[in-house]
Amino acid sequence: MEPMLREALAELITKMADDELILGHRNSAWTGLGPILEEDIAFSSMAQDKIGHALALYTLLRELSGIKDMDHFAFGRQADQFKCCHLVEYPNGEYDFSLMRHFLFDAAETLRYESLEDSSFEPLRQLSRKFRGELKYHMLHGNTWVIQLGHGDEESHARMQGALDACFPLAFGIFEQGNREAFLIDQQVYPGERVLQERWLEKIYPVLVKASLNMPAPDLNPGTPGGRQGKHTVYFAPLLEEMSEVFRMDPETAW
Amino acid sequence: MPSFDPRIERLHISDNSKEELLSHGENWNIYEVFHQEKRGARHEHVGGVHAPNPEMALVFAKEQFGRRKRCVNIWVVNSADILAFSEQDEDMFAANLGKTYRDASGFRVMDKINRIRSQKKEE
Amino acid sequence: MYGGGYIFDEPDKKLSAQEQLHDDPEKLTRFEEKIQAGEKIEPGDWMPSEYRRQLIRLIEQHAHSEVIGALPEGTWITRAPGFKRKMALIAKVQDEIGHGQLLYNAAETLGKSRESMINDLLTGKSKYSNVFNYPAETWADVTVIGFLIDAAAIINQLANARGSYGPYCRALERICYEESFHLKQGQEAFASLAAGTHSQQAMLQDALNRWWPPIMQFFGPPDKISAHSGKLMQWKVKMASNDDMRNQFLDTYVPKVWELAMTLPDPLLKKNESSGRWDYTEPDWDQFFRVIQGEGPCNKERLDVRRWVESHGRWVRLALMKAGQRKSMPMA
Repeated sequence: MEPMLREALAELITKMADDELILGHRNSAWTGLGPILEEDIAFSSMAQDKIGHALALYTLLRELSGIKDMDHFAFGRQADQFKCCHLVEYPNGEYDFSLMRHFLFDAAETLRYESLEDSSFEPLRQLSRKFRGELKYHMLHGNTWVIQLGHGDEESHARMQGALDACFPLAFGIFEQGNREAFLIDQQVYPGERVLQERWLEKIYPVLVKASLNMPAPDLNPGTPGGRQGKHTVYFAPLLEEMSEVFRMDPETAW
Repeated sequence: MPSFDPRIERLHISDNSKEELLSHGENWNIYEVFHQEKRGARHEHVGGVHAPNPEMALVFAKEQFGRRKRCVNIWVVNSADILAFSEQDEDMFAANLGKTYRDASGFRVMDKINRIRSQKKEE
Repeated sequence: MYGGGYIFDEPDKKLSAQEQLHDDPEKLTRFEEKIQAGEKIEPGDWMPSEYRRQLIRLIEQHAHSEVIGALPEGTWITRAPGFKRKMALIAKVQDEIGHGQLLYNAAETLGKSRESMINDLLTGKSKYSNVFNYPAETWADVTVIGFLIDAAAIINQLANARGSYGPYCRALERICYEESFHLKQGQEAFASLAAGTHSQQAMLQDALNRWWPPIMQFFGPPDKISAHSGKLMQWKVKMASNDDMRNQFLDTYVPKVWELAMTLPDPLLKKNESSGRWDYTEPDWDQFFRVIQGEGPCNKERLDVRRWVESHGRWVRLALMKAGQRKSMPMA
C-alpha cells in the first residue's frame, strides 16, 4: 500500500476508534446506575459494543501502521494524540443527555458503517458487515426511547428538548473534516464527512418529528478546529487520567 | 473518610441522602418473554421484563434474554393477558395416561397378524 | 451472583407456632409431602404463609445483594486496565444487574412488587449481603471479589438451586451459568497479579488481607448460634448449613490461593486431616452484626448511591407510566 493511503486510512480509523472508545467509556459508567434495571442492562451492552468496535478498529490500525499494541494505544497516549470529537468527551450528565447523545452519535455511526459497506478498503468493509446487527439494535433502542420520552409527560418532553439543544451543536463535531479527507474520497474509501452529515440530518429529522422535538437550526459553518486535530474540551484530560490510572502504574506489565 | 468511588464525588451522591420512595406502578408492567433458539425451534418461556409497553418490552428483552448464547427471535406478551389453570385443576389432566385408545400402545396389530399366520400354518 | 448465606430477619418475626396454626393442616401435609417427594412449588400453588414470607425475604435479599454488589466493582469500570479487563468487568457488573432483575421477578411471583422491595432496600428495612459494606480500594480488590466472593456465592447458589420454589430455581439455573464466567474471569485476573511484578503481588496480598475476614463471614454465623430452624431445611428453603458451605468453600479455594503463592491472614487456617474439615480462627460475629446494622465502612454510601439512582431515574419511569395501567405479576 502506498504511504499516503496508509496515512489517510490511519487518520480515519483513529478518529472512529477514539470516538467509540471514549463514548463507550462514558456510557459504561451508567452500568449499575441506570433508571430501571432493564434499561441498565441494555445501555451497558451498547457501551460494551462500542468499546469492542474501538478494539477492532485499533487492531486494524496495528496491521496498518504498526502501533505497538491496542492497550498501549488506547490507554497510553497523551490527550492531544486522541482524535475523538467533543460530543463524546462531555460528562454523562443526567440520563436525558446520555440518551440523546447516544441517539445522535449512533445514527451517525450507523451511516458511517453503512457507507463503508462499499469501501475500497476491504477490512473496513468486513467490519461494517460485522457491526451491522449491533448498530441496528442501537438505533432501535435510541429511536424508541427518544420517541417515547418525547411523548411521555411534560417533564420528559422538556428534558429531551433540552438535551437535544445541548447535544445538537456538539454533534456537528462528529463531521469535522480530516486533513486527508479529499484523498480518501478520491480513493473511494468512504464518501466524506459532508455527505455523511447530510445523510445524518435526513436520518434523525423524521425521528425527532415523531418525538415532537424541535430540531435546532443546523449550523453548517465549519467551526474552529476541534477533536479531530487533537484539541479537546476541559473534560477530556481528567477522563483520560481516570481511564488509564491503573494501566499507567506499570504499562509494561500484564494486568 | 473520602470515598474510593470516583462517582461519589462526580455525581454529588453524598448530597443526596434524602429518602424518596417509589410509587406503585413506577416499575411499569410485566411482560413475559419467550425466546427462540434457532429457526424451526419452539419459542420457550425464559422470564419476564418490566416495561411500559410492548415495544419497550421487546427492546429490553433483547438484551436481558438474548445477549448470550444462541437466540434468533423473541416474543413478549403482557402477563395479564395470560390465562392458566391453577394447581387444584391438575386433576383434569390426571386421567390422560389411562386413555389407551388415544395412544399407539393401545393398538396391537401383531396379535392379529400372528393369529392369521398360525391359522394359515394349520391349514 | 451474590446469595450471601446469611439471611437477615427482623428479630420479632421469627417463625412462631401461632402463625403456623393459620395454615390448613391438611393442605400443609400435602404441601410437605410434595416437597418431600422432590416436587417444585409454583407461584399459584397453596403454600404456608411462613413459607411465602421466608422465600420473599430470601429471594429479595439475594436480589438486593446483586444490585448493591454491582457497586464496589462498578467503581472500577472506568479505571480497569486494558481492553480485556475493561470489557469483562462491564459485562460482569451488567450480569449482576441482570441477576437482580431475574431475582426480583422470582420474588414478585410471591406477591411483593419490585417497587416495594426497592423501597424496603432504600429504607434499610431489607438487607443485602454484608460483604458489600466494604470498599474496593484498589484494582486488586476487584480481582479478589471476582474470584473469591463469586466462588463463595456459587457454592451458596448451587445449593439454593436445589430448593423447592420453581421460579427461584429457574432464575438460579441461569445465574449459575453466568457465574462460571465471573469466577473464571476473576480467577484469571487474580492469577495475573499473583504472577506479576512485586508491586502487583503486594497489591494483591494487601487486598486479600483486607477481604479475608468479610469472606469468612460470608456464609453467616456458625451453626451453633445461627437462628434458623429446621423448618426452612425441611421446606427446602435453606439447603445447606452455614458451616458446611464455609467448609466446602475453604476446601475448594484455599488450595487455589496457596498454589498461587499468596497467603491468607489466619495462622490457624489448615485442613484437619482427621476430621476432614477446616480449622480457622472464628470470625468476629459481634462485629458482623454491628456492620449489618449499619456500622460498616460503606453502608451509608451504598444506600446513598441506590437513592441517587432511584431519584435520578424517576422522571424516566414516571414519564412512561400510563394512567390506569393494568398491574400484573410475573407468571413464573
